[in-house]
Parts: sequence; C-alpha cells; structure tokens
Amino acid sequence: MSTIINVKGLAKSFGSLEAVRGVDFDVEQGSLFAFLGPNGAGKSTTIDMLTTQLKPDAGEATVAGYRLGRDNDGIRSAIGIVFQDSLLDPLLTVEENLLVRGSFYKLSRSELKAAVARAVETAGAGDFLKRPYGKLSGGQRRRADIARALIHTPQVLFLDEPTTGLDPQTRQNVWTTIRRLQKERGMTIFLTTHYMEEAAQADRIVVMDHGKVLAEGTPYELKERYATDMLKLKPHDAEELAAYLQARSASYTVASGIFHIPVAETVRALDIIDGCRSNIAGLEIVSGTMDDVFLHLTGTEVRA
Amino acid sequence: MMVIAKRNLKLFFRDRTGVLMSFLSVFIILGLYVLFLGDTMKSNLPDAPEADFLLNSWVMAGILAVTTVTATLGAFGVMVEDRTRKLLKDFTAAPVKRQEIVGGYILSACSVGIILSIVTLLLAEVYIVANGGGLLSAVTFAQVIGILVLSVLAGGSIVFFITSLLRSHSAYTTASTIIGTLIGFLTGIYIPIGSLPEAVQWVIKLFPVSHAGAMLRTVMVEEPMTQAFAGAPEEALREFKLHMGVVFDFGGKLSTMGASIAVLAGTTVFFYLLSIMLMVRNNK
Repeated sequence: MSTIINVKGLAKSFGSLEAVRGVDFDVEQGSLFAFLGPNGAGKSTTIDMLTTQLKPDAGEATVAGYRLGRDNDGIRSAIGIVFQDSLLDPLLTVEENLLVRGSFYKLSRSELKAAVARAVETAGAGDFLKRPYGKLSGGQRRRADIARALIHTPQVLFLDEPTTGLDPQTRQNVWTTIRRLQKERGMTIFLTTHYMEEAAQADRIVVMDHGKVLAEGTPYELKERYATDMLKLKPHDAEELAAYLQARSASYTVASGIFHIPVAETVRALDIIDGCRSNIAGLEIVSGTMDDVFLHLTGTEVRA
Repeated sequence: MMVIAKRNLKLFFRDRTGVLMSFLSVFIILGLYVLFLGDTMKSNLPDAPEADFLLNSWVMAGILAVTTVTATLGAFGVMVEDRTRKLLKDFTAAPVKRQEIVGGYILSACSVGIILSIVTLLLAEVYIVANGGGLLSAVTFAQVIGILVLSVLAGGSIVFFITSLLRSHSAYTTASTIIGTLIGFLTGIYIPIGSLPEAVQWVIKLFPVSHAGAMLRTVMVEEPMTQAFAGAPEEALREFKLHMGVVFDFGGKLSTMGASIAVLAGTTVFFYLLSIMLMVRNNK
C-alpha cells in the first residue's frame, strides 16, 4: 500500500495560541483514518491546513501527490470535504446546490450532470433532490453534504465530525455510506471524531491533544498499549478478598462493594479467580476500550 | 464566475423579504413625498398645471438614484452572509479562483441593481403618468437606463468597499440602515439642495451618487421643465435648476453631464481598486 497523505512538522499559531505544534503522520491509500481528540485539540486546524484553507506556519505535506503550498489547486481537485457545519445554500434545492458546487471542477455540462447523478446515488440523496436544502432534516442534510463532496470523485474524502448532532440511526446510516465508499471505491477516508466507537472502526488512529500527536496506531495496538483490562469481582466476604489480593500483591480499588482489579490481559483474570472461587458472588471481565486509551492519553474525559 | 453570479441572483431573489427591504428606502421616500414633502416643495414652484408633472419627475429621478445604491447594497448581503456563515470555505476548498468568486459577487450585485432600478423606473413612469404627467420619449428612456447602469456601477463600488470591511451580519444590517437613511439626504431628495446650508451642499456635491441624481433629473425633468417654465425668465429656470440640484454650482461654474459621468466612472475605478487592494492584503 502506498502513502496518499504525508505530513511533516506541520504547525500553525493564531497569535499566541499554538493550535498545532508540529505534527507528523502518514495516511495509507484506501484506508479509513481517524483523527481523535477533544475539542480544541487542533484537529480542525490540521484539516484546514491539509485542505488548503489555512496556510501552515511551518512544516510540509503532500496530499494525493501534490505538494501543499505549491500545487493547492491540484490538492483541491483531488479531495472532497464534508464540513462540520452545513455549507450548502439553504434557499436552493439540493440539486441546484450540487450543480453550482459541481461547476467548480471544470466539467462539461453533460459530465457535470452525470457526476451529480452519481454522487446523489452514492450518498443516497435522491429522495429530496428537488427540496430546498434549508428544509431538510439533519440526516438528509448530511447526505446532501456527502453528495456535494463526492461530485468530482475525490481520491481522499475528509469528514470533519460527520456524525456529530445526528440521531443514532442516522449516524449508523452515514457511517455505512462512509464504509461503503472506502470498501467499494477504494477511497481514502480521513475523518475526525470524538466518538470512540467510530474511531475504533478505523484502520488507523492518530490521537491528538494540545496541538500534538499523542499516539498513533491501529485501534488494537492503541488498546494494547494504553488500555488496561479490568476484572470486577463481587465477593461474599470483602475482607477475605482484600487479604487474598494483598497476599498476591495485586492492586485494586473498591467501589460500592465491587473490587476493580486491573489485569494486563483478560486471561490473567483466571489466575485470580481460581484462587478465590468460593468467595465470588459475581464477576465481570472488561477489556480495555478506546475510552480508556483516550483517558490515558489526554488525562481527561472526552471534552464535549 | 457566471455560475457563482447566477447562484447569488437566485439566493437574492428567493429571499422575498430581502428583495422587499432593498425597496424599503424607495417606499419611505415616496411615502414622505406623497404625505408632506411634496406640498412644501410645490410652494417654490410657479403655479402652473405642469408643476405636478415637474415635481413628480424630479422626485422619481431622485428615487431612482437612491435605488441604484440600496438595491446593490441589498444584493451584497449574499456576500456578507457567505462570509459570516463561513460558507466561503466550500468555495475556497474547490479549485476556483478567488477572482472568480469576487467577480461573481460584483456581477450579481450589479445585475440586481440594474434589474431593480429598471423595475423602479417602470413603476415611477406609471406613477407620473397616473398623476397627469407624460411618458419619457424612447431616447430619454434609453438615456435614463444608461445613467442607471453607470450609477449602479459607481454606487456598487462604494457599497462593495463598505461591505468588504464588514465582518458580521449585524454590522451589515446596521450599515444598510444607516446608508438607506443617509442616502436620501446625501443625494438631496428629502430636502432640495438649495434649502440646505452651504457646508451640507458641498457634501452633496462631492457625493458621487448625487451626480447620478443630477443627471437623472436633467434628463427626466427636461420635458416638464420646459412646459412649466414656458415664458418664464431664463434666470428663474437657472435658479430652479440650482435649487433643486438638477445642476450643481462649483464656484460659479455649473456641472455638466460630461463631468458627472467622469465623476461616476472615476468613483467606480477608485473604489474597486481600493477594495481589491484591501482583499489582496487580507489574504496574505
């Protein structure tokens, strides 16, 4: 697999605020790449730079083979963006919106029509083509936004928090569309999110906070590295269990009668259970989640 | 550029209240005139049956001058809206030239200005004729449209410059209100220039859009004026023209059509250049 986005030392400050302080990462062609971080971590600023909206203060990047800063128009024709906010015209119908925005890509009239039809089909926006964008529901708008981003069949699709503010079912639908684009079209998907369960489905994740890359890897690698599995035990006799755990020099915390015992791997829990089986009233083994990774790395809950 | 201009036009005309608001100052002036300004002004005129025709034509000429500015201003609302809603991001993230976007805004705003001015002109003619006046001849009609176009270009350039400085929607609304109110005074419509103090007269004379007003008056008032002043002394006619702002007095010299055209053309070039220079600087 080849690299489609390559970022080296990218930085941007707004006055005294260092929004992005030198980030490096690569995105593989055809992969689903997630950018995870709390609000204000610098995700959007990084995306704005990669999509030629903002001029970086330092560093360099190539997107789809085009150098940032040298061939911005090349980048612009190779990428599609679904912005966090709706940026289509509320007073125009979806179709009018798509035709206007599609005309930016130097297609002939018939090519444009075909391209719009294709994008509409892929994004599933056919049912409300003739309706004004401003009158659509949140989910329909998102579909229209995605159709807009697909008109020129970009190589890379950027999505800035594509599912924020949508109801769970719509979120699922949008997500399915995104997965399909990646699987069937081989499109590279670059998304930012602060939903852990979405990030967990990515091929590769970069966790960012305070303008820096904190960690990078597949969801599995990150969980291995930064999340601990947890054995939760409800004993018949709490004192006996405490003594048992101390004897094994295992660390634990107690919350409302339940013992939380961190274990390196879920299997290790078996050893502990074996030695105190008769004292167990109930148990649960929880493997580490992306939430744990996030908490571990940023030291905060997800800042919503 | 054409696509963007077409989009802007659609956006403008689909927002009915916006279109109506662009006509607002026209309605206000017309209302004030019908209700009481007309009577005050009539007292300055010879007591002839043509006086109404004359005065109506005069007011309509002024209203047209105002429309060229307010309509164009209303149309630039689309640009301000795009900027404040960060909608421009979607344009700049596509391989479109910045000049095309800006050109699209100017083109659409000027088209709106011209369309609405012509609509106003037709309404004005209906009003004049309904009140016993005569229609403009084909030649004067063409002249009026020519002046309107020129006025839209000049007024548009000023308005474009102002709106390019505005960063929020409320700032734009405020600016629109202020301009809409002031413009009636600045072009000498509410009160004829001759009734104002010397200093204010100079402000009017130096305000480019007044020159569009003067030219429109010259052309539109010509016919009723010769009727109303038939047999009156030459001095009375000159006095009337100066008092009502049909021509301006620059230290004893009277303004000419040629000079007014030059003022408008100069304004257009100056303000567009200024705005473009500012934009280039902001982009760095």
